[in-house]
Amino acid sequence: MSRTATYHTTVRWKGKHWGHLVMGNGPEMDFSAPPDAQGHAGVFTPEDAYVAAANTCVMMMFIWATERFKLKLLSYECRTEGTKLIELDRTEVFTRLHFRPVIRVAADGDTPAVVEARVRRALQSAQKYSLVANSVKSEIVVEPEIVIEQ
Amino acid sequence: MPEYLETTVDKFIFRVATDRLYASDGVWAFWVESQGNGQVRIGLTDYLQQLNGDVAFVHVKPVGTKLAVEDEFAELETIKATVSLFSPVSGTVVAVNPDLDLSPEIINHEPYGKGWLAVIEATNWQSDGAKLLDPQAYLSAMRSQAEEELKKQ
Repeated sequence: MSRTATYHTTVRWKGKHWGHLVMGNGPEMDFSAPPDAQGHAGVFTPEDAYVAAANTCVMMMFIWATERFKLKLLSYECRTEGTKLIELDRTEVFTRLHFRPVIRVAADGDTPAVVEARVRRALQSAQKYSLVANSVKSEIVVEPEIVIEQ
Repeated sequence: MPEYLETTVDKFIFRVATDRLYASDGVWAFWVESQGNGQVRIGLTDYLQQLNGDVAFVHVKPVGTKLAVEDEFAELETIKATVSLFSPVSGTVVAVNPDLDLSPEIINHEPYGKGWLAVIEATNWQSDGAKLLDPQAYLSAMRSQAEEELKKQ
């Protein structure tokens, strides 16, 4: 069952603190560092990319999980926060990714307790099987708000 | 609590309970001796549950279903796959694990214990059981299967 796949991106320096990113799946955009790291506001940054990679991957895995767990998903929105630690030697590391998904699902004939338990299992599976979440060394915390619509 | 044989393939540890017999496709059969009438509890192995991932649903044939050896007795829906499971013994389903409806994840957590699937009133346990693998033989077969999976990369 172990198989490999590769994904690629290409970056090119545009001068000063600017770069241009071409993603393997098509999109391209300029990027910089965040303003607190001598970059620019309003553009894509590596920090955003890291947090977004985990956030988008967990969401896509959760969508898949809701299908496998036969949940009627009404909406999903997740703000995820990455915490950066600046070490004594001035190296930096993301120590934590804190996911706060707000999930609305239809009861669809089941009791709220049964549906909520299934949503939580789907979330656990989403984290477990998310390629990116599975690849990062940051601590991952998931704090969901689950709303069951009758 | 059963004792286990254990083997490591790549980074994965697989356990095989020593108190039961096995079909090579990863279904175990445990003769419930205390009931004295040839009832056999069946479930899936640690290897099979790890191979297929988190269980979302399991559909076991209802009580009263008559089974021949290799008849499908359950369908497992996991996060990654839908898998048919085949009976290692002939007989009639006399019990289905009632906990599977609300907590199918017990198959992942305790495949040899609380995650059992069904009890079969066996019609020919002596003959059916003789065709199954003992724990050591299953461990070897399972290890070969796991190594084959790894070669697919």
